[in-house]
Amino acid sequence: MKYLHLITILVWAAMLPALAAGDPTAAASVWEKSVVKVEVSRNLYDYYQPWNRRNDRSAKIGLVVGERQILTTAQDLSDRTLVRLQKGGRGKWTNAKVEWIDYYANLALLTTDEAAFWTGLQPVNLSGKAPAEGDKLQIIRWREGKLENRQAEFTQFAVRPSELSGISHVQMELGSEIQGVGLGEPVVANSHVVGIVASQKGRTCKVIPASFIQMILAARAAGNQRGLGYFHFYWQRAENPASLAQLRLPGEPRGVLVSNVPERLDDGEQVLQPRDIILQIDGFDVDMQGDYTDPDYGSLMLENLSARGKWAGDDVKMKIWRDGKPLDVTYRLPKYEFAHSLVPAGVFDQPPDYLIVGGLVFQPLTVPYLQRWGAEWERRAPFRFTYYTGDEATREQPGLVILSQVLPDAFNLGYQEQRGFAVDKVNGLRVTSLSGLRDALKQPKDNFHVIDFLPNESLQRIVLAAGDAEREATQRVLERFGIAEAVQITPKAAAQK
Amino acid sequence: MFLKNAITTLLISSVVYGFAAEPERSAIQILTYRQEPDWSAPWRFDAVQRAGGSGFVIKGKRIMTNAHVVSWSRQVIVRKYQDAKPYLATVEFIGHDCDLAVLTVADESFFDQLPALEFGEMPKVRSTVVTYGYPAGGEEISYTRGVVSRIEMSGYSHIGNRRLLSVQTDAAINPGNSGGPVIQDDRVVGVAFQGIAGLENTGFFIPPPVIQRFLKDIEDKHYDGVPLAGVNFVPLQNPAYRSQLQLPDNNLGARVDYLRPNSSTSNVLQPDDVVLQIGEFPVASDGTILYQSNRVFCALGFQLGQSGDSVPVKMWRAGQAQTVNVKVVASTADRPEGNQFDVKPRYFVFGGLVFTPLSRDYLGAATRESSEASGTDLTYELFYRSREEPKLVREEPVVLSTVLGDAVNANFRLRSRVLVDRINGTRIEKISDVIRAFETSTNTYDVIEFIKSREFECLDHAEALRANDKILKTYGVPRDRQL
Repeated sequence: MKYLHLITILVWAAMLPALAAGDPTAAASVWEKSVVKVEVSRNLYDYYQPWNRRNDRSAKIGLVVGERQILTTAQDLSDRTLVRLQKGGRGKWTNAKVEWIDYYANLALLTTDEAAFWTGLQPVNLSGKAPAEGDKLQIIRWREGKLENRQAEFTQFAVRPSELSGISHVQMELGSEIQGVGLGEPVVANSHVVGIVASQKGRTCKVIPASFIQMILAARAAGNQRGLGYFHFYWQRAENPASLAQLRLPGEPRGVLVSNVPERLDDGEQVLQPRDIILQIDGFDVDMQGDYTDPDYGSLMLENLSARGKWAGDDVKMKIWRDGKPLDVTYRLPKYEFAHSLVPAGVFDQPPDYLIVGGLVFQPLTVPYLQRWGAEWERRAPFRFTYYTGDEATREQPGLVILSQVLPDAFNLGYQEQRGFAVDKVNGLRVTSLSGLRDALKQPKDNFHVIDFLPNESLQRIVLAAGDAEREATQRVLERFGIAEAVQITPKAAAQK
Repeated sequence: MFLKNAITTLLISSVVYGFAAEPERSAIQILTYRQEPDWSAPWRFDAVQRAGGSGFVIKGKRIMTNAHVVSWSRQVIVRKYQDAKPYLATVEFIGHDCDLAVLTVADESFFDQLPALEFGEMPKVRSTVVTYGYPAGGEEISYTRGVVSRIEMSGYSHIGNRRLLSVQTDAAINPGNSGGPVIQDDRVVGVAFQGIAGLENTGFFIPPPVIQRFLKDIEDKHYDGVPLAGVNFVPLQNPAYRSQLQLPDNNLGARVDYLRPNSSTSNVLQPDDVVLQIGEFPVASDGTILYQSNRVFCALGFQLGQSGDSVPVKMWRAGQAQTVNVKVVASTADRPEGNQFDVKPRYFVFGGLVFTPLSRDYLGAATRESSEASGTDLTYELFYRSREEPKLVREEPVVLSTVLGDAVNANFRLRSRVLVDRINGTRIEKISDVIRAFETSTNTYDVIEFIKSREFECLDHAEALRANDKILKTYGVPRDRQL
């Protein structure tokens, strides 16, 4: 063991000057021991025919970050059937497992029980220090059996939503000529990893910074991860002095104006009110653009203060201006949950839920469902459905169930072309979830199911026969259309394990 | 060889149509110089455009054409067959919902030797018709022959939110044909009016029932419009639904699914009523009636008469048949949802903030100018709110259309395409509320709140008042309001 350490140290000692000299060949050899290839076989679901699935295989990059731990992004790891690792960019693949995954933070740790895999691998240092302008940054990945090391330019730190959720936190933006990254490739500076690439658009790479990763991993290691929180209110910039004057704020323009404070679904108290001016959060002054000066990253949007060393359930101190007076309030961060959105942005590690009754197919309205209209789904999906994505969930309407299609059968004659309506009530009972629909269908009225839709341009109500006719029709449809189950409702799974 | 053949064909044509000289002479070429307003800068008009269409002479020394041929016209010129002389015409009556108009010509000598065309009956499907008109591609009259392909209710694109009876033909109907007569047996059986881009051999004409209703409508010198029931009928073919309503299995009846609030029928019919007969027409379970041997959607049964007429409706409610009289009226309540014509867009400017009522025309202009998804809130407000949240509907939703930049408003972040919720605490139902809110304000700062985002902006009232004239002058706005 001592011998191994010695060799390691010697290799590092030999490496550093080479790095400084910018010799890509020499630099590559360091990262060969820490960067691995990840192959993920997974189920992809067809949200139009939610009982169908197909197998898909995707490639990712992992980074050894600790004792038998490989870090990567959570993207493409959902609904996995097999995960494999390969070191050295070629050769044998080793079966792996996901030790931990957080879709909100877009991070995952992989491991394998095969001891031989770890031989020769070496954990890297994650650098909490932010790169500065002028730092030489490199993006590293395995490509065609060789370690590719491409230069990147630091552009800025900016608060951006995570790739898989609405959580906003500081991210690093780089410019690079490299193409096809965003699969968890490490970004290094001066022999330290400063982040992993989460996405790429054109020349711009969005990178999860090491400091954020460290915070998440440290909390996990301490068994203290309560999930990420967020600010559940909307604000506008205070650039109009007339608005500040109207709210009787003396002095220079500063702070942001709270515009909308939606209902909290987590029982937390909504301490803010529309027309409050937020002047300070956790001791940081908020300017009229909504930015504060972060000690590590400079000017950042205030949203980052919900993620900067904070977790769901933590308190954030705010100094606000209300009714012409300053006021200190404590804002308890709600936990970000996909299920708290009217139209959930993410559905992971479960097949799409559906319920078929007499050939009528009902599904929850989710963003993955809307994405079946393609990358431009926000323009191409039915207007009313996409417009729901801008609405807040409430206790009264926490979710939406839609009639997505009708599989033709004599039972549903006359309804074959009906689709695209959100359900309001079934048999007089409010329906906001698929399980609610299943329960309501157990209570037919005079042997009929009465299905009322939320107001729409085409159809408000349909009536179906209940009882034996319904059961026989459902069975007939399943057989005719080759569907195994009439109902697929997965119990709510945690998106962070 | 080719030339000889072409000439032969023309000669044959002239022989074939020799007996049809009357329609030929009575088909009129219409040239217009039109100018449309800029709905997002509503005091301004776009450049004058020249457009061409067709028409034909009808009784009473008048010319019939499409409404869209003469809409927004600044000048209308009509020309006779093989006559170079231009005559000035004026629009006497116009029906934007049915896309028909009647013109008069100041110089009555225009009509000398011009026989009025007579109207015929609804043409049969598969029968042959000939269109006469002055389409693009040449200056002289053009004829195209085709068969009647189908007859049904279809959208009238001129107004954009009406479905009326129309006839599809494979006779070529091209730009410039609009307003021209469609002839069968020397009689007018339609007015050519629209096509479908991308579809070949698909033209549409307005059939006699719609034309005759229009002519009857204007007999009192006022055009009221096509009456509507304000009802959404849906087919009722599912055996279970019919059984639940205790309806016999006789293939009759369309279900009332939705009634437009405040429509004339909303106090007579109710959801889940089943309409069995409208006037003389039994209603089939697919929602159609048999009209002159054509299966067409039953709403036609309410459109054949005049606004204010009562139509007897046999319906099924609570397991029993009964007959009620449904009063139908030509509604103007949904006018903002359709295209508007020959009206001056309404607006009010205060402190450089331009407010205008939300309309389909405004939305179209705003969407063309911006690739953002900012139009979604406007789309919802215009087309969906009334049905989904009737209690929150405003009589005339108002948009902050644009901000004419000035020191007084330079710090406004929200500058265009946002719906106004309140001003100085008053809910804005219509544009006159905006005017009242500013003109009666005693506030130091006027507070303008917006829908959906709930964002707000403030304006120094006194400064805005002082800046008003200067802003109007700077941006060439002739007056602060047009109502």
